[in-house]
Amino acid sequence: MAEIKTAQFQSASGAAIKDPILRRALTQVGGGFSEARLDAIDEVGEDVWESWREEARRIKIHALDNLDYYLELLHDRVTQAGGHVHFARDATQANEIVSRIANSRGVKIATKSKSMVSEELDLNKTLEANGVEVYETDLGEYIIQLAEETPSHLVAPALHKTKEQVSELFHEKLGVPLTDDIEEMARVARVTLRDKFLQADLGISGANFLVAETGTLVIITNEGNGRLCTSAPRIHIGITGMEKVIPSLQDLAVFLRLLPRSATGQRLTSYVSMVTGPRRSEDEDGPEEFHLVLVDNGRSRLLADPDLRESLYCIRCGACLNICPVYGKIGGHAYGWVYPGPIGAIVSPTLVGLGQAKDLPQASSLCGACREVCPIKINIPRMLLHLRHKLAESPDESERAASTAEKIAANGYAWLMSNQTMLTAAKKVGRLAQTPFVSDGKVSRAPLPLVSKWTAARDLPALPKRTFREIWEQELEGQGEQQRAARNRDNDIGQDGNQA
Amino acid sequence: MTNQVETSLGIPRDEFLAHVRRSLGRGPDVLQPDVSNPVLQETLAQMESRAEEARRRLEAERESLVDRFAETAQLRNWNLFWTGSSEHAVSYIVEVAQAHSGGQVARSDQSALTDLPLDDALESLGIRSVLVKRGDERTQDSLRQQIVESGVGVTGADFAVAETGSVVVLPRQGLSRLVSLVPPVHVAVVRPQDVVGSLDDVFLFRRLEYHGNGGDMGSYVNFITGPSRTADIEMKLVVGVHGPREVHLVLLG
Repeated sequence: MAEIKTAQFQSASGAAIKDPILRRALTQVGGGFSEARLDAIDEVGEDVWESWREEARRIKIHALDNLDYYLELLHDRVTQAGGHVHFARDATQANEIVSRIANSRGVKIATKSKSMVSEELDLNKTLEANGVEVYETDLGEYIIQLAEETPSHLVAPALHKTKEQVSELFHEKLGVPLTDDIEEMARVARVTLRDKFLQADLGISGANFLVAETGTLVIITNEGNGRLCTSAPRIHIGITGMEKVIPSLQDLAVFLRLLPRSATGQRLTSYVSMVTGPRRSEDEDGPEEFHLVLVDNGRSRLLADPDLRESLYCIRCGACLNICPVYGKIGGHAYGWVYPGPIGAIVSPTLVGLGQAKDLPQASSLCGACREVCPIKINIPRMLLHLRHKLAESPDESERAASTAEKIAANGYAWLMSNQTMLTAAKKVGRLAQTPFVSDGKVSRAPLPLVSKWTAARDLPALPKRTFREIWEQELEGQGEQQRAARNRDNDIGQDGNQA
Repeated sequence: MTNQVETSLGIPRDEFLAHVRRSLGRGPDVLQPDVSNPVLQETLAQMESRAEEARRRLEAERESLVDRFAETAQLRNWNLFWTGSSEHAVSYIVEVAQAHSGGQVARSDQSALTDLPLDDALESLGIRSVLVKRGDERTQDSLRQQIVESGVGVTGADFAVAETGSVVVLPRQGLSRLVSLVPPVHVAVVRPQDVVGSLDDVFLFRRLEYHGNGGDMGSYVNFITGPSRTADIEMKLVVGVHGPREVHLVLLG
């Protein structure tokens, strides 16, 4: 499984926020994708968009509530089409399955189209250890494979890299001259990878959807690498999470309408490739073998928790990342595992272990933007709160997000806020106590241990000289009655000038 | 290559499904849940009658559908050439071939193309036309090599979708998966009768084919919607990565 660095969220996000290159890239991606998405929705109209979201959600609810049934149907139909279906409980098992297929058939070279699940499994490492040369062929994935990094976005995996960095990378790894021409970089990738496509024995793809009714794997791509991976080599392995199944071919249409528009604002991607089994004897070409590897790897835990099941409805469009103010500041790597952003903050803690990822559900202002843009209307803020609740109440000390000191402070705060006399007294004391630390209406460096943790990253507004309640009592009370009285008078001259 | 594949690696299907079942909270005695999905319960006859209705609708709206397809396709960056004359269609394709083919064109053996006297026109200009046709002497490797060496690939379309501006290709004899993918320029020839309204139409016809054909609708369905593209570096659009950088649509009728 991919290395888990979720426990370093605080230091990683702290570092990310200070990275000017990342800041620029995130502004581009957030703005660009979000605007394109809104244009695409405008074109069809809000009502139509809403009805598509409702329909897609209904299909996903039904499919996941009956996942056992549809997985069995999918298995039967893929088998009927001449394909093989393999079930993997966890990452180790999934990697073993792919390696065994590769080794038993003498595979030397494998080309891959983009697959987040294979990132989750760290499949490339296992294949390479088994003597298989693996080439990522999506341009973004190819870049991060050469750079030995991980994706930082669900849709644009290399968005954190500038063209200068890519040029230097290609220069260093591929021996091509430096350039600032992005088209030239794409050309280099095409030429380098074209040979690999034609030499590869094995093509590996993910799946955006699996259609149970017909046993069909669906991938949605723009570059054409997905089509090449699933057309040119003699073996095709599709590897994906078990939650990707939808019941009928008829259900696919609405997802093809929602996914590209939500992801990049495209009305449809350049290619939608649907694969059903290996080539038939009457086909001119195509893979002789088709394998589908269905991966659990913790997904059944999401399925079993009624409060988290809807996270499995996700179609990985990335819209929640693009809109999220937290992702927009820290980027994908800080989240410490494959799935970043709001949806990652729900999925990762369950897949890697709550104790290891307890900072992720806290990394949200609960503004609700993610829920608003989600094409499947997944209630992400509700699940974040649910996880926070779990973290607060966990019997397992190591899972608890808050320290004992924070708990005592929170309880004290709750008591104070519900006690008028004590609150008034505390404000008076606080106003005096803060005096040496206030400048320009803010406390920038507080001496108390918990408060100083806050002020290390942000300013704390100072307590005002007078509270609203005091202003009200001293100046405004009774004014409403005076104004009413004034309106009732014949003229408005001679009022007292007590208008603050 | 023998196909002595262990049919299933990993954990046995039933064990995997039982775990999913438990996760769903179904009792241990539930082996086959009772799932009612009206879409999947539709009979072949019902599907046929819906398809018949769709065909009638498409026929009645043919003209406006073709207009809409032409309009959407251009928005999706197809270069449109719309003509009622097969002579003009041929000379357009020849023009594209002269500009881009590097002396060789790969074309599929589909009915939309058999009616066009394309090969002779190409040959007369010294451009080789590689026909993907079954039963000839070529091995799969040499066919592939010839497609790789071609600068232009010419195909027909099984469907042209007005909603999305897509050309849909299905596996058939005389059609390599690579002709519309590997050469840097793709020309698709579309006839008015290929045009359907929406994605729903395509999937209805494919479902009907699947169920009417004893559970087989062929190994692939490929939607092509404009040229190959990427924005993976700094969100800047680059056209033409692994697939064709230029796509032409010859709309007949």
